[in-house]
Amino acid sequence: MSTPQANSNAIPENTPDQALNDALGSVMGVMRVLMFVVLCSVLFSGVFTVEPNEVAVVLRFGKPTGTGAEQIRKPGLHWAFPYPIDEIVRMPVGQSHAVTSTTGWYFVSPEEAAAGIEPTGWGTLIPGVDGYLICADGNLIHARATLRYRISDPVRHSFHFGSAKDLLTNLLNRALLEAAAEFPADAAIYRDKLAFKDAVLASLNTALTEHALGVTLDPFEVEVVAPLDVRPAFEAVIAAEQERSRQINDARADAKEIVLTAGGDAQALISAGMSASNQVVTAVSAEATSFSEQLPHFDRNPQLFVRRRLTETVALVLTNANDKFLLPARNDNGPSLLRLQLSREPAKPAKPAGSANPSPR
Amino acid sequence: MKRSLATIIVGAGFALLVGLVLFTFQVRQTEVAVVTTFGRFDRELDEPGWYGRWLWPVQKVYKFDRRLQNFERKFEQTTTADGRNLIATVFVGWRVENAKLFLERFPSGDLNGAAQNLEGLVRDAKNGVLGRYRFNELITTNAARLKLRTVEQEMLELIQPKAASNYGVAVDLVGLKQFGLPESITAKVFERMRAERQALVKQFESEGEAEAIRIRSEADRQRQELLAKAEAEALVLRGQGEAEAAQSLAVFEKNPELAIFLLELDALAASLKDRSTVVLDPDMSPFSLLSGMPSALAEKVGIVEAATNLTEQTP
Repeated sequence: MSTPQANSNAIPENTPDQALNDALGSVMGVMRVLMFVVLCSVLFSGVFTVEPNEVAVVLRFGKPTGTGAEQIRKPGLHWAFPYPIDEIVRMPVGQSHAVTSTTGWYFVSPEEAAAGIEPTGWGTLIPGVDGYLICADGNLIHARATLRYRISDPVRHSFHFGSAKDLLTNLLNRALLEAAAEFPADAAIYRDKLAFKDAVLASLNTALTEHALGVTLDPFEVEVVAPLDVRPAFEAVIAAEQERSRQINDARADAKEIVLTAGGDAQALISAGMSASNQVVTAVSAEATSFSEQLPHFDRNPQLFVRRRLTETVALVLTNANDKFLLPARNDNGPSLLRLQLSREPAKPAKPAGSANPSPR
Repeated sequence: MKRSLATIIVGAGFALLVGLVLFTFQVRQTEVAVVTTFGRFDRELDEPGWYGRWLWPVQKVYKFDRRLQNFERKFEQTTTADGRNLIATVFVGWRVENAKLFLERFPSGDLNGAAQNLEGLVRDAKNGVLGRYRFNELITTNAARLKLRTVEQEMLELIQPKAASNYGVAVDLVGLKQFGLPESITAKVFERMRAERQALVKQFESEGEAEAIRIRSEADRQRQELLAKAEAEALVLRGQGEAEAAQSLAVFEKNPELAIFLLELDALAASLKDRSTVVLDPDMSPFSLLSGMPSALAEKVGIVEAATNLTEQTP
């Protein structure tokens, strides 16, 4: 055991071995810190977040962890072993994706597309350049469809198909081809557009059911137009069809008016008949009553009664008559010549009710 | 001693890591792998997981994407059973099924190379199958006659066994993507389409006029029918009125002559009621008064002279 004096007098050990030991000790210390940092980094590198519009599948040594619905990591904070033990595959299920079929659409040059103008028809369609569809009546049309979809089965969608989007585009192309093969051009372009769209959708749904792409379809659009070269002819047909509809609608409106007016006229005729019937019954009844009342007077003095009634009537007639002429018999009892102007002045229109003659001042 | 233990642990961990990297490999869910030993096939791994291996050059691992791949044929002309030229494009969905055979056929494992080899199979199948069908079985308004799905199924059945035996791939689907016509034919089609449209225009014009005439004629017919029925009904009503009035005529039978006389008086008054011109014989009563009073009455009242004078003064 050394004393403090002895220690103070001792020469510090500064051999090469000691220096090496000190250096190794320092390195090991740094290594420990580094290992701790690396360990922490490794542990925390497994923490990951799944965003609201996506889900994730964790592949452990290449195989999905869990079964069924447990395979899917929903939005939130999760942890997995670091790569290469675990691998995180993210799948955008929330957002809407879109594919467009343009195999049936005409060629548009980049300049025309940029200017937003339609190309000019060239009289023919070049295979491989101009897209088009052959319709059931052998006519040609242009059609394009934009399909929007969401991923409903992310595991199948991502792990079963190399490019589900390409396959979906081709299935959409095929659906357009099949629908066009069943529809005449006029029906597809304007007469039955909805049915054409439904046929495209039905064909596509059949294919999706058969191949199970793991997608859910959103509403989609189909645009169908006539080829540029024959578009004026189609427009003329549409105009003629519109004119036909207008003529028919006008005729229907006229017919409705005719029938309604006829109904009114018919009702008026029936009313007039009813009125005449009532009138004759009333008149005859009144005459019968009058006759019954006059008969006792006639029986009392027939001659006087007849003369009185006859004179009354003549007086009434002559009072009402506009012109009265007395034509005396000639002395020689020969025929007399009388000239009368028969063309009468037109009757004065009746004054409206309530109007009064201005009083002379 | 402590330092030695830590060093050993770190070294062992590092060695383990290097060993794992060198002697193990993963097969992902989307892959299939083939392991060869000194170039010879050793095993095929089609389940995802973690597997061991010997170092190269003892063993070598080949991995292939086993997901469904999409492949499209170029636009090529073919002929239908009725001799119509048709340009058709076909797409195929295929995947690596027999990885060993696939590796033998395509040592580089290039999927595009495999697709190019499939091209010949697809071309033969397409030409063979489409050549058995008439054009109007591929394009028709009669859904029962449309054979597109049959064509696709037959093409699939032709391609599947050859693709499996020749290349080790499974073809899951074959679809018709696009039909076309030779360029010169499209010009003829356009001419026909124009002619059809012109015919349609004329048809619609004549149909519009004819239909409008028919509708209006039908309305006129209905109008006449309504009026005829109404007139008939009115006639019946008037007849009923006359019949009902006739019941009152029994009263007139008490003195028919008087009744007729009274009716005639009424008719006379009614017919000359307004705007009439009457030419009369002055001898008719009461104008006979202008010639003098009746002799019997004059004698009774004694005014014969006065009556005579009055007659003379009349213009």
